[in-house]
Amino acid sequence: MNLRRLVFFGALLGLWEAAARAGFWPPYIFPSFSSVSRTLLAGLWDGSIVLGVVVSLRRILLAYSFSAVVGTILGLALGRIKALEDTVGSLALGLQTLPSICWLPLALLWFGLSEQAILFVTVMGAVLSITIATEAGVRSLPPIYLRAGRTMGARGLALYRDVILPAAFPYMVSGLKQGWSFAWRSLMAGELLYVNLGLGQLLMMGRELNDMGQVVAVMLVIIGIGVVVDRGIFARIEQRIRSKWGLLA
Amino acid sequence: MVERRRPVKLVLRNVSKAFAGRNGSVTALEDVSLEVRQGEFVCLVGPSGCGKSTLLNLIAGLERPSRGEILMDGRPVTGPAPERMVLFQESALFPWLNVVHNVEFGLKQKGVPARVRREIALYYLEMVHLRKFAGAYVHELSGGMKQRVALARALAADPDVLLMDEPFAALDAQTRDILHAELQEIWAATRKTVVFITHNVREAVCLGDRVVVLTYRPGRVKAHCEVALPRPRQIEDEGLLAVVAEVTASLRGEVMKALNEELNERVEGHEPAKAGVLRRAVGALGSGR
Repeated sequence: MNLRRLVFFGALLGLWEAAARAGFWPPYIFPSFSSVSRTLLAGLWDGSIVLGVVVSLRRILLAYSFSAVVGTILGLALGRIKALEDTVGSLALGLQTLPSICWLPLALLWFGLSEQAILFVTVMGAVLSITIATEAGVRSLPPIYLRAGRTMGARGLALYRDVILPAAFPYMVSGLKQGWSFAWRSLMAGELLYVNLGLGQLLMMGRELNDMGQVVAVMLVIIGIGVVVDRGIFARIEQRIRSKWGLLA
Repeated sequence: MVERRRPVKLVLRNVSKAFAGRNGSVTALEDVSLEVRQGEFVCLVGPSGCGKSTLLNLIAGLERPSRGEILMDGRPVTGPAPERMVLFQESALFPWLNVVHNVEFGLKQKGVPARVRREIALYYLEMVHLRKFAGAYVHELSGGMKQRVALARALAADPDVLLMDEPFAALDAQTRDILHAELQEIWAATRKTVVFITHNVREAVCLGDRVVVLTYRPGRVKAHCEVALPRPRQIEDEGLLAVVAEVTASLRGEVMKALNEELNERVEGHEPAKAGVLRRAVGALGSGR
């Protein structure tokens, strides 16, 4: 974290605190930074926020790893088989334009008010991005890698594992990243709308209790998780690929 | 000079290859017959568009001939196999692997245990003088180093035949000279059978036991020139000149055909005025300068 950024965020928090203390708005509409921090610490201490984080992370990990596996397999198939690309490929492109939370009404009909419904919505957020990016990666694969791999004896599954997948991986990472952010947004939206437990539900509870401190505290936690995943995981993977492949930063 | 007694390694018998093009099918190769003996270094030269690379892909098993057959050790070639390794013009090294893992790739596919394949890979990296770069990534290497790694990668799979598709065409002259020397040294040490494609006649004469001239579209075998000169040879050796002249004479007509045809394709319908000028220029070239 560099100095400029530190100063910026320090000033922002200061401004927030000052504006809240000036008393233009009542605290249940505009809570101060200090009261939000207190709520956050209390929530961490009594475990309510921790529980929300654990439940939401468990859901996203489940849905996301499922999406990654299915999306990769589907993307490989679409990228290699022309007939599939023309048919399923265009379907995937079309469906991807639909914000995945729009699947919720259907999911409720199919799965009821259940864990499966929210997982379904989350999967629909991620899986198509991953599929489409994998397909693009396979399609842009230089044929010479395939020829080189085949002359060196790679065939069948080994050709996929040792040549096609690693060659397509830089493309896939952008899809995996986009898939993650779609999945995370869908999950939060889904949790807001109905499901018990999870961060989204904590947000709604804050609203119902008129506890703006809790609402803002949970929002900060959601931002925090997003930043950690983006900077801590995806940015690192991208950096690694860039240095390995010698791509420009 | 290859002794005539050496067994025949590769046989191409009346091989033709046609591709579906925009205006019907295009015959890339027609009725090509060729024998390569074990341990022989054969160079194929021809104008661009004569189907040299197609021929190599056919031998590699990456493509199937439309007619005719290709035999290795008397058995028909049905697909790619590590006994026939290809060196491409671009190195085709895998950017997601470091140098030593690239060299190990073929061995890994064969299921060679990790320790053994590391040892073999390092041995061949040593042979191309790049052992120090075992841990480097591909983008950190120069063009010449990449081709040396590609050579080590091909040799590590212990093929019987090395198929080289203009592997040095993209390199600067100095690097190419060094690699010519290294390749001859390695060939002398390993005695692989080599089929080497180039459009550079001097390179072909410098490296080959025999130079085979291909005609322009469709590619056919036009001439064989034996190169009975002592090795190691260098590209500027005076002794090469006689053979170079012989090959060049045989090739010139084909290059003219290629240029003319390209000209017609490019110019027709577009700029008829320019076409005349270019044709005269090509004609002047064809008359031997």
